[in-house]
Amino acid sequence: MSSSPLPGDASNDPTDKTGRFVRQPNGRIRPLSPHLQIWRWHVTMTASILFRVTIGAISVGAAIAVGWLAALACGPEAYAGVSALLGSPFGLFIGFGLTVVLFSFLLNGARHLFNDTGNGLSLKSANLLSNIAVWGPIPLAVLFWVLLFATGRVSL
Amino acid sequence: MSGPAKFKNHVKISERHGAGEWLTERVALALLMPLGLWVVSSVFTLAGAGYDDLLAWFASPLNAGLLILTLLTLFLFASLAWKVIIEDYIHKPLAKTLAIGSLNLVFLVLAAASVFFIVRLALGSAPLPAGIGA
Repeated sequence: MSSSPLPGDASNDPTDKTGRFVRQPNGRIRPLSPHLQIWRWHVTMTASILFRVTIGAISVGAAIAVGWLAALACGPEAYAGVSALLGSPFGLFIGFGLTVVLFSFLLNGARHLFNDTGNGLSLKSANLLSNIAVWGPIPLAVLFWVLLFATGRVSL
Repeated sequence: MSGPAKFKNHVKISERHGAGEWLTERVALALLMPLGLWVVSSVFTLAGAGYDDLLAWFASPLNAGLLILTLLTLFLFASLAWKVIIEDYIHKPLAKTLAIGSLNLVFLVLAAASVFFIVRLALGSAPLPAGIGA
């Protein structure tokens, strides 16, 4: 074995506190094996799982949108029924949920695209982006509906 | 499906077609970001609008075109994203193929239906089912 440090060797680096590299019994520096049973929850996991949930939800939302288009294409009488349903408390509840999904798709999709380019993957950035993607949709959707009610476009 | 392997600088660039699908999914998602913002603003302006106002909105080719583009891109993205999710959790070949195939069929039908309805609304066609038998 050569005496020069191997790529990624942080075993002798006093500033490295991660413990990511260990000296194996044969003397080689190898990354620590991942523990499959010792781990803790991380917000990046929530963001990742929520994006899959969001994709499922936005697929349903798109199907609802096509149904809305169908009602509109079937004329004023057919649309009146759908419009009344949309304006009912249940319809507004679904509408609010769909705006949460839409904002979640935009924020989490932006996070995913940014991470796909290899950026924002440091612990700090990944946490920040994930927190924005996880929590951001709720205040945005609330703001959206407050504005809808404030401008009189929607009323109960 | 898998043709002869392609090489770049003597390195096989992709076993089959995964890299192409990966890139297509990202391009679709990137396209959906501005389109999604446009949907947010459109929903805001159209909320509470009556039937005639909605028809006037659809009469604009820009609105109709952007809505068709949005839905087609979304269904393309959804079919690719669902494929990845299914491949992660369903491992029996027949069940996997059936799940992916049936979801693709659903998304294809939804995409075709959305184009059909939007084009009719944009052209100001008589309300359905006029023109298809009734």
